[in-house]
Amino acid sequence: MKIISNILSFFLLAVLFTGCGLDNYEEPQSKLMGKVTYNGETLGLRGTNESVQLQIYQDGYAKHDPVAVYVNQDGTFEAMLFDGEYKLVTRNNNGPWVNDRDTVLVNVKGTTDCEVEVTPYFTISNESISLSGNTVNASLSINKIVSTATVSSVMLLVSKTAFVDEGTYIARQNLTTGAIGASTLSLDLSNNTDVAKATQLYARIGVKATGADQAIYSDVVKIK
Amino acid sequence: MKKRYFLAAAAILMSMNSCSGFLDQDPDKILTDNQVFSDATMIKSVLANYYGRVTWGQNISDSYSYTIIDEAAKSDGGPDTRQDFEDDRWRVYDYTLIRNINQFLVSLRATTALAKSEQLAIEGEARFLRAWTYFNMCRGMGGMPIVGDEVFEYVGGMDITTLQYPRSTEAEMYDYIISECSEIAEYLTETPSTNAARATKWAALMLKARAAVYAGSIANYNNKMANPIKTAGGEVGISADKAAGYYQTALAAAKEVISGGKYSLQLTKPDDRGKNFYEAICVKENNSEVIWSRDYIYPGQTTGFTQSNIPASHAEDIDRCYAGPILNLVEAFEYVNDRNGEIKVKDENGNYIFYENPEDAFAKKDPRLWGSIIYPGAEFKGSEVVLQAGQKLLENGKWVTLTGDADSKDANGLLITSVNGPAVNNNQYINKSGFFFRKFLDETPQSSTRGRGSDMWFPRFRIAEAYLIACEASFELGNNGQATDYINAVRERAGIQDLSSVSFDDIVRENRVEFAFEDHRYWDMKRWRLADKVWNGVTNDVNAQQWALFPYKVNAPGTPNDGKWVFEKQADHMSPYARNFQLKNYYNFINLDWINNNPKFVKNPYQ
Repeated sequence: MKIISNILSFFLLAVLFTGCGLDNYEEPQSKLMGKVTYNGETLGLRGTNESVQLQIYQDGYAKHDPVAVYVNQDGTFEAMLFDGEYKLVTRNNNGPWVNDRDTVLVNVKGTTDCEVEVTPYFTISNESISLSGNTVNASLSINKIVSTATVSSVMLLVSKTAFVDEGTYIARQNLTTGAIGASTLSLDLSNNTDVAKATQLYARIGVKATGADQAIYSDVVKIK
Repeated sequence: MKKRYFLAAAAILMSMNSCSGFLDQDPDKILTDNQVFSDATMIKSVLANYYGRVTWGQNISDSYSYTIIDEAAKSDGGPDTRQDFEDDRWRVYDYTLIRNINQFLVSLRATTALAKSEQLAIEGEARFLRAWTYFNMCRGMGGMPIVGDEVFEYVGGMDITTLQYPRSTEAEMYDYIISECSEIAEYLTETPSTNAARATKWAALMLKARAAVYAGSIANYNNKMANPIKTAGGEVGISADKAAGYYQTALAAAKEVISGGKYSLQLTKPDDRGKNFYEAICVKENNSEVIWSRDYIYPGQTTGFTQSNIPASHAEDIDRCYAGPILNLVEAFEYVNDRNGEIKVKDENGNYIFYENPEDAFAKKDPRLWGSIIYPGAEFKGSEVVLQAGQKLLENGKWVTLTGDADSKDANGLLITSVNGPAVNNNQYINKSGFFFRKFLDETPQSSTRGRGSDMWFPRFRIAEAYLIACEASFELGNNGQATDYINAVRERAGIQDLSSVSFDDIVRENRVEFAFEDHRYWDMKRWRLADKVWNGVTNDVNAQQWALFPYKVNAPGTPNDGKWVFEKQADHMSPYARNFQLKNYYNFINLDWINNNPKFVKNPYQ
């Protein structure tokens, strides 16, 4: 009896252990690393809530669903793929740049780098953000890249984590009459209970063009 | 041994005997087309099935649908972390229903069981429901395939591309809805139906008016955006030159309903306008207001809205306080003689304003506020709904707040926090916003129990909308005098002051307060292209953030303000993030599976 039950449990174990492995596909091994750039410079974007997306298509299959790739707030993105040829395109009307559905062809083989070149409505330069006492002072220059673009808002955003954008902040100052060229903003934090509780503060400036769904941002600065 | 043979023989005999046919019965649950369409009652019961399948969007069988936008906030359990709107929020894509209706039409037209006029009336109802389905698809996604009366059949081996229809343009879709409504208005009865449950000529005209005013406002306001939302093929977006035509269609249809004389702005209690407004929308008996509704009836067809949202002090079962209206909406209601609807809680020096009774803070408000929302101190079913967040105590000349659990009392037996709330915590069954729903809250005994449920109806069209569509269309066509007359008709019934002229903001606001919780606001904000501006995602924004109003009773014996009430406005803690309506939310995304199945579909903008 004991022998039988031993044999049975051996079979049971054998069955349990052989169940998986054979019928699964291997996971993709190749990494596509890229950045969204203008004149070689990466752009500061919103990195939360899947706000800025690229789409990867591959021809030759029956279905045409794109793979969505989410762009980080520093303008970089990553995707794990199988080796092969892919088409990379920005999502329609998405991003602080002129909508352009031109595809970038990428031949993925092992770790591959790529760049998606866009034309932003504006860029931000000479930015400086600092905290003195309870006031955040910021200055920046807005450079107009697209001649027809107008500024819908300039915002100074403060967050308690390194993620700072239009949707992730605890204090915010808006300038609706953002002029091209140099401007300054200051934000009083003295009555803000979220700021009082925060041990670290990060800040960033964003500029949104009229009619665009996303703003372009400066680099994130740790101010406390 | 012999016995065994005998048994075996018997078994064989029995098994050969089983084909007597007593099991061959006609199924009584699957009926053939002939059986159904040879009987008038059967035909109507098929039609009833379709009526049961057309409830979409915000409605009382889905309590949480009110917390999506700036009308109400969640009160039960953990917080509502909504910030963005989904790509498929309230998306309708029901070609199964359209096909079923088309199948129904084929057999209905061939039947001899009905008199010709009745046959046409039923055809009118079926086509009305089909137009309503298209309308619900269109306001979410823009133009979608129009299949007419065609019933698609797939036969093995056929060329499936003949079954794949491309999307129509948004304008074609609204035109189709409008022309269907014009045609069936002739077939349908003019007599209002019982509880407004079935479509009449007037319901068809209302759908026509609403479709036309939606199309007109898209033609108008979309093209005024910095970056108009449209596709190259016109599946989304309508050209600006069509706006005037649509507004004229809307105005004519709305006027026809108003002059038809079958419905009127109900005014049965001129001395109690709040109650009057509640009854005009929520009481079915002798109702002259509602043109088409989703009716419910006990037993069998009930909803849980009353059960979910009844104040704790009036609850008849476990459930209560799932959601509560918010201050944003309360302040949108004007005062009888003051257009600024702000609730006054502090004076110009930042000191509390003390009220004798909590309801005094809402004195002289638009009576529709009473009819739509239970505010602190208002009555429900004959007794007061106490909303008390806590006590305000005077310590060293400063006001401090004392709060407790639901229904807690201090050492002197004075109430600290009411059983109703409001409270700042994550407990279930206590209010968090300071207000309860009144509109659609059923006063019938036992209607808040799990066993019974409520048979409150959900009006889809009512005569006040005809007035406000006529007002909007007149305004957009440049006839401000006529627009003012129409809006004042609604305001007079409500019991507030007349306007001398109408602005666009007046129209937005009047629609918001008149049709709160009636599935208008979200679609209105979309068609006026205001949604991304109002729900801008800015923390503590006056519109995008959800706000609560907390009443406190002053406990300061010996001081003149003892026993009075003060209020505090605060961001609703259950809804920490401001609503953020992005440009991509103006149109639902087209599901990629649909595109895989039908490559003729194009995607929507921002997709």
